[in-house]
Amino acid sequence: MKALVLIVDDEPAIRRFLRPALEENGYAVLEATTGKSALEAAVAKKPDVVLLDLSLPDQDGLDVLKRLREWSSAPVIVVSARGEETDKIAGLDRGADDYLTKPFGVEELLARIRAALRRAENAARDPEPVYEHGDLKIDLTARRVWVGKKEARLSPLQYALLAALVRRAGRVVSQKDLLKELWPDGGSTPEALRILVHQTRHRIEKEPVRPKHLKTEPAVGYRLEAPE
Amino acid sequence: MKEYALAAGAVAACTAAGFAVHGALTVTDLVMVYLLGTLFVALRGRRGPALFASVAGVLSFDFFFVPPRYTFHVEHPQYVVTFLVMFAVALLISHLAVRVRLQAEAAKRAEVVAETEKLRSSLLSAVSHELRTPLTAIMGSASTLLAQAGDGSRDLLTNIRDEAERLTRLVHNLIETTRLESGAALKKEPHALEEIVASALERTEKILAGRRLEADLPENLPLVPLDPVLMELVFVNLLENAARHAPEGAVDLVARERMDGVEISVADRGPGIKAEDLGRVFEKFYRASAAPGAGLGLAICKAVVEAHGGTIRAEHRPGGGALFILTLPRGAR
Repeated sequence: MKALVLIVDDEPAIRRFLRPALEENGYAVLEATTGKSALEAAVAKKPDVVLLDLSLPDQDGLDVLKRLREWSSAPVIVVSARGEETDKIAGLDRGADDYLTKPFGVEELLARIRAALRRAENAARDPEPVYEHGDLKIDLTARRVWVGKKEARLSPLQYALLAALVRRAGRVVSQKDLLKELWPDGGSTPEALRILVHQTRHRIEKEPVRPKHLKTEPAVGYRLEAPE
Repeated sequence: MKEYALAAGAVAACTAAGFAVHGALTVTDLVMVYLLGTLFVALRGRRGPALFASVAGVLSFDFFFVPPRYTFHVEHPQYVVTFLVMFAVALLISHLAVRVRLQAEAAKRAEVVAETEKLRSSLLSAVSHELRTPLTAIMGSASTLLAQAGDGSRDLLTNIRDEAERLTRLVHNLIETTRLESGAALKKEPHALEEIVASALERTEKILAGRRLEADLPENLPLVPLDPVLMELVFVNLLENAARHAPEGAVDLVARERMDGVEISVADRGPGIKAEDLGRVFEKFYRASAAPGAGLGLAICKAVVEAHGGTIRAEHRPGGGALFILTLPRGAR
């Protein structure tokens, strides 16, 4: 069965290239041009993934997302032309899985859709106890991390950061969510989180300035690449 | 001068009015008529004409109405007190009136500035939205076609896609320049430079294709207070500049801790910058000798770095090539 992608965008020029690009790559495509019709289509057809543009003619895309999240857990990728970090954070806060800023490349879009679908699939099953991506291996049951053949020495907090990101691998996790998860009693700062990420990167990345696993989404949060 | 004529006219009008009501009122009541004239002048003009109207008012009142009339001579000493009070009240009125008027004008000016700012930012977001959507469609259509294209059209489609990407970077630069120039506040927070450089490297991967980029950033570099989105743009522009002017050879990016902050240099092995261009490459739309490019990238580098309280300069790289050195101050602790 082909995965069904719901495109919500009022710009014909965007829908015109998204449809063939997605169909070419084996997806079935459904289009909606307003928030209202998007919600109706989502109820009727139960898409596997939703591409949601934030500027719609009838309502704010963020409100559509909120309504959708009341009953659906289908992955939503927010698409924004404004490129404002606050938009991205607001989208993640309201339950978006990922976001793309216009203009984006088709490869980027396909990668995000694949990651979103894989996550949805994994969420339905028991979580994988071992994360593997390139030379990085994280064993959540043994609480051990390897880079290639060598075991990485991590502090408990560094491990907690990786574990938090592994659970949402492939997704952007906002700075706010990470702070809440790693320091549940508060008492930390975005600065402490940045230092923690910096140190962790130096334990798990061969070339920390060209990270392969732990990526930064500037001014928004962090992403651990989806497992292979 | 016009304002003084107006003040004189107002005093003359008060005097005429004084003559008209003279029989019906006592002499001292006429003081009110003159004060009204002063208030009128003060509301229209500046302090000078208002002061002039106060003095002229007192003198006219004395000359035309205080007995003995048509002389400046005063019979009863009590009138001297009347003059003084009249003069003091006239001064006070003009002072207050002028101040009220200036405040109203300042408020109006501030309102105009706020309006302009609002207009500019909504225009900016509209333009950016209007440009981004067609660019997405062009890039997306070209890369979708590219995936199915035969060898014959590959080059042209790649050309469309890459140039649309270049246009995207230009739009991004334009938007950020305007945002900076409109005085929008930086979102400065302590960041690891490595993280900023990393996202810049990721974004320039394609433009730098084939060139070696050596990044040398010590692990224990201090955090620097910076706006991550804008500083990423600085590095993207410097790397793009290196890619464009130095078609081959390695690009070196080195960061070092200094007494008062961090110094970062970006160096290529291209033809370098001519001595006469060294100081001018950061000017908006200035292009060093026949080099391609809009000349906006380096201008925004300078604007961003200076907005952070840092400096940026261009130099000759020993052994050939261009060298850009920027410093960012450490935050106040």
